Amino acid sequence: MIKIKDLEKIYRTEEVETIALNKLSMEVKEGEFVAVMGPSGCGKSTLLNILGLLDDSDNGSFVFNGVEVTKFNERKRAEMRKHNIGFVFQSFNLIDELTVYENVELPLIYTGVKTPDRKAKVEAVLDKMKIMHRRNHYPQQLSGGQQQRVAVARAVVNNPKLILADEPTGNLDSSNGNEVMELLTDLNEQGTTIVMVTHSEHDAKFSHRIIRMLDGQTVTENILV
Amino acid sequence: MLKSYFITAWRYLTRHKTYSIINVAGLSIGLACAMLILLYVKDEVSFDKFHKNVNNVYRIVTLSKFNGTYHKDGNTGFLQGPRFAKNVPGIQSYVRVQSGAADLQNGQEIQSQDLLYVDSSFFSVFTFPLLGGNASTCLTEPHSIVLSEDAAIKHFGKTDVVGKTMMLKEDSLFVPFKVTAVAKKCPQNSSIQFEVLLPFRESEMDAKNTDNWFNFFLNTFVVLNPNAKLQTVENQMQAFYVRDASKAYKAMVEKYLNGYDEGMGTYFLQPFTDMHMSTELPSQNGLQNASNPMYSYILSGIALFILLIACINFVNLTIARSLKRAKEIGVRKVIGSNRKQLIFQFLGESFLLCFIAFAMALFLVELILPVFNNLSNKALSFSYLFDAKLTGTYLALFLVTGLLAGFYPALVLSGYKPVETLYSRFNLAGKNYLQKSLVVLQFALASFLIIATLTIYSQFNFLTKTDLGFDDRNIVEVRKPGLKFHEAETFKAELLKNPNIVDVAPKNDGFWGTAAKISNDSVMQFAYETVDESYLPALKIQLVQGRNFSKSNPSDATNSVLVNEAFVKKAGWKNPIGETVNFYYLDNEKYQVIGVVKDYHFVALNQKIGPQLFTMKPSNNLGLFNIKIKPGSETESLRFIQAKFKEFFPLSPYSYIFKNEQRIKDYESEAKWKQIIFFGAVLTIFISCIGLFGLSVLSAEKRTKEIGIRKVLGASVSNVVATLSKDFLMLVSIALIIAIPIAWLATDKWLQNYPYRISLNWWLFAVACILVLLIALVTVSFQAVKAAIDNPVKSLRTE
Ligand SMILES: Nc1ncnc2c1ncn2[C@@H]1O[C@H](COP(=O)(O)OP(=O)(O)OP(=O)(O)O)[C@@H](O)[C@H]1O
Ligand SMILES: [Mg+2]
Repeated sequence: MIKIKDLEKIYRTEEVETIALNKLSMEVKEGEFVAVMGPSGCGKSTLLNILGLLDDSDNGSFVFNGVEVTKFNERKRAEMRKHNIGFVFQSFNLIDELTVYENVELPLIYTGVKTPDRKAKVEAVLDKMKIMHRRNHYPQQLSGGQQQRVAVARAVVNNPKLILADEPTGNLDSSNGNEVMELLTDLNEQGTTIVMVTHSEHDAKFSHRIIRMLDGQTVTENILV
Repeated sequence: MLKSYFITAWRYLTRHKTYSIINVAGLSIGLACAMLILLYVKDEVSFDKFHKNVNNVYRIVTLSKFNGTYHKDGNTGFLQGPRFAKNVPGIQSYVRVQSGAADLQNGQEIQSQDLLYVDSSFFSVFTFPLLGGNASTCLTEPHSIVLSEDAAIKHFGKTDVVGKTMMLKEDSLFVPFKVTAVAKKCPQNSSIQFEVLLPFRESEMDAKNTDNWFNFFLNTFVVLNPNAKLQTVENQMQAFYVRDASKAYKAMVEKYLNGYDEGMGTYFLQPFTDMHMSTELPSQNGLQNASNPMYSYILSGIALFILLIACINFVNLTIARSLKRAKEIGVRKVIGSNRKQLIFQFLGESFLLCFIAFAMALFLVELILPVFNNLSNKALSFSYLFDAKLTGTYLALFLVTGLLAGFYPALVLSGYKPVETLYSRFNLAGKNYLQKSLVVLQFALASFLIIATLTIYSQFNFLTKTDLGFDDRNIVEVRKPGLKFHEAETFKAELLKNPNIVDVAPKNDGFWGTAAKISNDSVMQFAYETVDESYLPALKIQLVQGRNFSKSNPSDATNSVLVNEAFVKKAGWKNPIGETVNFYYLDNEKYQVIGVVKDYHFVALNQKIGPQLFTMKPSNNLGLFNIKIKPGSETESLRFIQAKFKEFFPLSPYSYIFKNEQRIKDYESEAKWKQIIFFGAVLTIFISCIGLFGLSVLSAEKRTKEIGIRKVLGASVSNVVATLSKDFLMLVSIALIIAIPIAWLATDKWLQNYPYRISLNWWLFAVACILVLLIALVTVSFQAVKAAIDNPVKSLRTE
């Protein structure tokens, strides 16, 4: 599903050049659950953002679902993203002005799903995430674990083929963290490909394969399954 | 999709109340101002357009040379209308309109009534609907009278009064006039306003005498044939004029101008609808509501300022606040929104806010319309100005404001990169030149208006308080035009019998001007005053040389004159006493100068003191009494004066005015403009300040963590306030630096309109600077102090 070759990403800021990704190559197959690990600043988030088409690379190739996407413009990326990719962030990133229900509904609105279908889909996913009873609350009224479950619900409501998670348990205690990991595992078992960045060996164990990075390059790969 | 946008927008507005209130308040004030001014301008441009045939109606005007300078004049006389209409094929008809007044008997009371004398074609040229009577015949009979709705109600208490009679004074007798028609009230936006119309009067002599070509005292309007070419008609008019009037003109030049011929002058036509806002040929002499397009420009300018400042607030606050919204933008992009959708979303929000402001503005306009009408001397209302065009303009105003306020922020916000916004790498604190320059622009505009206000106030103060060169306190002015000299003197003697009456100084009524030859045979023009020996002492006007008229010197009446300093200067006399003034056109009547009067402001301060000459010539008419009374005796004196007036002049209307009140009246228009600019300045500074306040709130929010850290490290409250306020005050200072020179130039230019004016002073600018800085400081530090005294632990924890 994902095929990356010699990918480079360089940040240039007033005289300092940071090579965030240094000729990085990797591959993720459909249905896989991959964890990306490595020390702070080694380029994990950068990689994830490029995979999610939020950022572009400076060199190298990135083939997503058999399509070369490095040359895509803003509009095409947005189009690609909204149909195929779901995101989960460490800091949840829910919209404060929208209720739980409305936050989850938002991706469906952007993909143009009709109102009755939307209602069914949102309710189904809220049910699955055990957050239905909070549907009319605002994010600030929820605990961190609940917020992350809403974020996961929002990431999956469109049935994306790929979920990208950047330290999804980073702001959670261990029991809430485990809950989220189990949700991700469930999703993976139902066929969703998952790429997850984490600092926790414990969380990494939920995945099939761990890619270890250092200074913008992959160093080792452990296959767990 | 739309619903979701709407929900977010609505929740944003209701949740961030400070922000929304600032924006809605600012925008609605700005929009209300713009709406008001649109009404004003619409009224101005709609002036006189209601007449059905108005595009073919013109006023006969002239261009002539006098004393070497050309000037245009809107006045004409008896002959122009009838003779041009008869001899120029393109002219269909004419109507002469002359203003006047008549004394009218209503029961026991006698009132003076302003009226217009018009030709019988009046109602065919102009569109003034009648409530009763026949439009084509109502002005044909000599003793007919046409009333307006209001006048009919005033005199009869009802409007169906055609056929009734009214008593009007003709010469010295009251005679019956028959009401032949009642006209509807004249529209607001009409230059012709009347309560009473009388048929135009001229004797057969008047109509025949070719000398009357040179007698200008009324307005003549003509209706052109729709196919006639303006240029051709004007040429034919001029040709006929030259043919018809040349002989009379030559005789005139010989008789009055000593053979000094500067040309006969040129006739041309002014479109009727151009009159209202014309500065060189204004609506005057019985035509009302003359206006100056300057007012429209100034008002539009101020309204635009205010609206612009409100839009700037919107742009600045939206962008400053976007740090908070950055996350939302990032999230929306991550879950699939493209940029266009975000632009629409943010534009939608601006429009929603703008819509609320718009609704409030409409309400505000209704609320402040009476005040504004009072200020601008108008009677604007939606009722007669509301039409499709106005609706369209308002709609356009709404759209433009929405776009102006919303487009730039939408563009900026929608361009944020999710990778930056979602990882808190995002920082707006950086350069932000746009926001800064907009704040500078706002405060420059506000400072400009504040300086303008201060200047206008000082000048106004100067105009109303400055020493006029005479004492206008305790002087009652009573008017009785057309008195013979001896009649005035008997009335004066009677008044002086009362010990409360200190002095009585009769003089001629109104302004008289004439010309005479002075010593070296050159002709000079001057103001011509007929007074008696009491005039100078009663008004405490000083003599600089020679002596006043004197009762003990009977020959003063026939031989002597006084002149003012300006006269002496213009005449170039070294020793004015004993010089002669020769009224050459009155068979060389000669007078000797016996005294020089110190220049005093006999006309309002917006005109220069010109040459002035005083005479006691007994054959001149007097008409105005300056009655000096004992201070504190107002009630008794006024009662006494009125009683005596009725006794002496039972058939004349009585009214009085205190002379020092007259002075306030002279500057009514300045007073109104002073208030309008003042309100403009208050509004701009207010809107600028709420904007600044909003920015300071956001900046303090953004810097909560920084402030917390500073305080943990030992910064005092005043340190923190200084840190937070410094930047803003810097911007305001730059604004002042920009505003001061521009304001200097503009106010200086405005002051040039006044021959007597204040000089621009540095302190005026200093006051403005201090004022602006102080207001800004209070606004900014309010929030800074709040941030500074907050508990640092709290602010650090929330980060
Ligand atoms: N916008 C940016 N501008 C400049 N440098 C950047 C930017 N974003 C990332 N970097 C740099 O690129 C490198 C990789 O950053 P990245 O965020 O991918 O690290 P990470 O592996 O996710 O670290 P962490 O585990 O702390 O999240 C870092 O050295 C960082 O300083
Ligand atoms: Mg990271």
